[in-house]
Amino acid sequence: MATKRSNFGRDRGLQARMGLTMFLLGLLYVVLVGVLIAASASAVVIVAIALGLFFVQIVGSDKIALATLGAHEVSESDEPQLHAVIERLCIQADLPKPRVAVIEARMPNACALGRSQKSATVCATRGLLQMLDDPAELESVMAHELTHVINRDVMVMTIASFFATVAALIIRFAFFFGGGFGGDRNEAEAIEVVILVSVLVYAISFVLLRALSRYREFAADRGSAMLTGRPSALASALIKISGTIERIPRNDLRTAEGMSAFFIVPARAKNSLMNLFADHPPLEQRLAALSRLEAQLQGTGR
Amino acid sequence: MGLREILTGRSAVKQPAARERLFALSTAYVTLETAYSITSAGVAGIVVQALATSDFQSVLKDTEEVVKATAGDFNATVQTSDDEYGFRWVVIRDPAIEDLVVTINGVSSSIEAGGYGERILCAVFAFKAADGAAINFIYNYKRGSWYPFVPAPGDKQRNTERELQLKAQIGGELPIEPELERWFPLWGVPF
Repeated sequence: MATKRSNFGRDRGLQARMGLTMFLLGLLYVVLVGVLIAASASAVVIVAIALGLFFVQIVGSDKIALATLGAHEVSESDEPQLHAVIERLCIQADLPKPRVAVIEARMPNACALGRSQKSATVCATRGLLQMLDDPAELESVMAHELTHVINRDVMVMTIASFFATVAALIIRFAFFFGGGFGGDRNEAEAIEVVILVSVLVYAISFVLLRALSRYREFAADRGSAMLTGRPSALASALIKISGTIERIPRNDLRTAEGMSAFFIVPARAKNSLMNLFADHPPLEQRLAALSRLEAQLQGTGR
Repeated sequence: MGLREILTGRSAVKQPAARERLFALSTAYVTLETAYSITSAGVAGIVVQALATSDFQSVLKDTEEVVKATAGDFNATVQTSDDEYGFRWVVIRDPAIEDLVVTINGVSSSIEAGGYGERILCAVFAFKAADGAAINFIYNYKRGSWYPFVPAPGDKQRNTERELQLKAQIGGELPIEPELERWFPLWGVPF
């Protein structure tokens, strides 16, 4: 019976795509650093400033984010259900209990903040708590956020975007000083090359970082399914959250069939360019991945 | 968790701890009873995350049958129930604490043999203090450690002072969880 479920959570394709994205980002950054070293001039100052920003981001980003989101920490007596759900997940995931915060907003959403497992905060909006009255759905969403904590996604994304930040800084400096920081002609040319490369690095890394972020979301969905053993509960919660409960049709098949003859193209064409820039994967793909996990769990999938 | 798991985002659900410390209770119990007049309430339960798959349900059913068969030798009774969070409780009643420990271990071994070790959360053993107050000792399978859980009157209140006293009293014999932030409460214990 162990063999039946040994492929539960297998996701080679995702691993390969994530690995390729990280490799390309690394390659891109090596080019940037190479050009910076070759041009030397004011590059050192810019890298130093970027390092400073990076440090502030690592240390303080969660507090800044919590403050701007308007989240407030809640105690066990305030939100007993939410705490109980998170506590059981923490035992299952072998995590120390994170701080639990609530955002008083009606839009259903959740997030995880903090650079390490010990300093993590898990956030849910009031709208989410009201919408997901089924504990299993709330549990699966919280398991998704806790998986972000386990995978240290905040740290991974901050580090991955470090050189993109450097490139953005160089472009900004160039914009303000108009390239007027070179003395002789050779140096001016070198700086032009640096700026050009920075623009390219920034543009390409933007796409790559978005891709990486989407893969981390898929990984968190998978982690949630592994933790709770309920991929379909997460799928159900995602459908509710995205407000597409109408996705499950209420019209009789016979009436729907009559209508579909009038459509010449599907109601909504797939826009692959938009997917390239989105930081969350489209719902259809997440639901498809979760249904594969459920099939693997039930022993009916490949 | 290693760098590789962080980079790939592939976390696995933790299996039960390699070092089996469940049986430490069988000896620690003597000290609890003689030195502190804390006696067994004659009931213990194991909490399992119930998967809605036919394979898991059959493993669980086999487990329950095996435990019920062996429980007869000990004068123990076995009951199962589901709680509001979707967890399955296997509750065992037996006046002898050694039998409770052995039977609980039988349940977890059987589930592990079925290939679902990572779904076992914890085991709860109920005790009574001399003044009649309820005391629970919880064994966390993932970490292989124990911690006390003393509910206090009122809604979801716990007597942290008493819990810390218990740690000091029995910590020498029972491997107590060193990190206090992992002393997770379990509300709504069905016994």
